[in-house]
Amino acid sequence: MREVSVIGVGITPFAKYRDKTLADIGWPAVKAAIEDAGVEKKDIEAAYCGSALGGMMSGQRVMKQLGITGLPITNIENACSSSSSAFRQAYISVAAGVYDVALVMGVEKLTKFGGGTLPLEKEDFEVTHGLVMPALYGMRARRYMHDYGLTEEQLAGVAVKAHKHGALNPEAQFRNEVTLDEVMNARQIAEPFTLLHCCPSGDGASAVVIASAEKARQYTTSPVRVACSEVNSGKYMTGFRDMTTPEITVRGAKQAYEEAGIGPDDVDVAEVHDAFTIAELLYYEALGFCDKGDAAKLLEDGETSLGGRIPVNPSGGLLSKGHPIGATGTAQIAEVVRQLRGECGDRQVDGAKVGLTHCTGGGISGFDHGACSIHIFSV
Amino acid sequence: MAQTAEHTEAHVLLAGESVRNESDGSVRLVGGRCDDCGTLFFPSAHVCPECMSEAVAAADLANDGTLYSWSVVHVAPRGWNTPYIAGYVDLSDGIRVFAHVTGTDASLLEMDMAVSLTTAILGDDDGVPVESYAFTPVKG
Ligand SMILES: [Zn+2]
Repeated sequence: MREVSVIGVGITPFAKYRDKTLADIGWPAVKAAIEDAGVEKKDIEAAYCGSALGGMMSGQRVMKQLGITGLPITNIENACSSSSSAFRQAYISVAAGVYDVALVMGVEKLTKFGGGTLPLEKEDFEVTHGLVMPALYGMRARRYMHDYGLTEEQLAGVAVKAHKHGALNPEAQFRNEVTLDEVMNARQIAEPFTLLHCCPSGDGASAVVIASAEKARQYTTSPVRVACSEVNSGKYMTGFRDMTTPEITVRGAKQAYEEAGIGPDDVDVAEVHDAFTIAELLYYEALGFCDKGDAAKLLEDGETSLGGRIPVNPSGGLLSKGHPIGATGTAQIAEVVRQLRGECGDRQVDGAKVGLTHCTGGGISGFDHGACSIHIFSV
Repeated sequence: MAQTAEHTEAHVLLAGESVRNESDGSVRLVGGRCDDCGTLFFPSAHVCPECMSEAVAAADLANDGTLYSWSVVHVAPRGWNTPYIAGYVDLSDGIRVFAHVTGTDASLLEMDMAVSLTTAILGDDDGVPVESYAFTPVKG
């Protein structure tokens, strides 16, 4: 397998684009990534598109707007991990020497469903019985609060931190800071969550151009190395499981660190899947940033805020930057690549050399999560 | 909201083959047990998730369990009576079941408290009541 580098990234800022088609939400991110990479359209040998709910041929619909057609375009659905899973497929193809340059995108238009909670698969038993994503995470939160003494104030602190970071990101869906009181007194969604504990619904796109390390040098003096690329599925269990430990992330993180040859202490910046406040705390522990039960302390000590030991979600994360499902994976990658290139302005993590992205989700019966993808990048 | 379904009224039975009505008015949850490897699972399926055997027989599940966690749901898709309490119940035979928790105020719930099987009207489908299994705290 060859070394692979990211040479370009682009984002269509996350927002509500009710009057735009999926194709028109998607192409600006792709164009930006191509221009950032400095490649010609004809240099792109293959494209991989992640979308959870975009419908058939999402990738072709976006690429035709830019006249990039005729190449192999593969569409990938893996819930929240759709575009991070697409990234892994692109990575494998370039690492294996099949292509020298490939494009990955994530695109989503959730406003087409109106508001409310994410539409889930109707064939699923728990979904037909009223399971919604906020309730699933709400149950995780309730159990964690019981088992580890987490308070509602500490939990709300995750949203305060997310918005503090998001306020510094011109591409975030929410760019306002919020107070602890505002988080705790917002309208109830699924207890213990108010609206501000939940990521917003929205639209957006993100794209990444990758190349073999050798080819990358033709295009850029600042390639970002892909140190590991990992995708897992959840394990189906009919019996009891510990909802305070996201097994799939623990397993994936172990594999990712082994593949990259580093440990959690070597990570300078991370973008993790904070779909709900509790999720971020669970992932601090699962990714090894702190011991089990210490997540609230890590947050309160400011270690995961900008300026701390391991800043998490400098982009604002899903809670503030937004979460157009399939677009999130490559958007996280775009943020970490920009961090490692030192381009993030007010939200820059000083001297970041190693960055991690973590994208997981998929609410289906009997699974902790349906899918999880972890990537590590370095310069 | 009625806590027990009136079986004389027209209503949508949500759980279908996963619930059996007994002659005394009570209900049982029905899962699947693999004849070849003994794995018990819920809801049932035509193939065993452990050994892929297709010799799966209906198996009654326990009526009692403990409440692993819960969330009071205020925002849900159309059709559900909100707010409702969503929970995971750990049955005494080792199966975890997603269920609505009914017949109680959420403030009275406790982690790992004993709950037992019941039925409840949980919402409506274009005016027709939707009934399914639910769990309720064991009194006393
Ligand atoms: Zn079996």
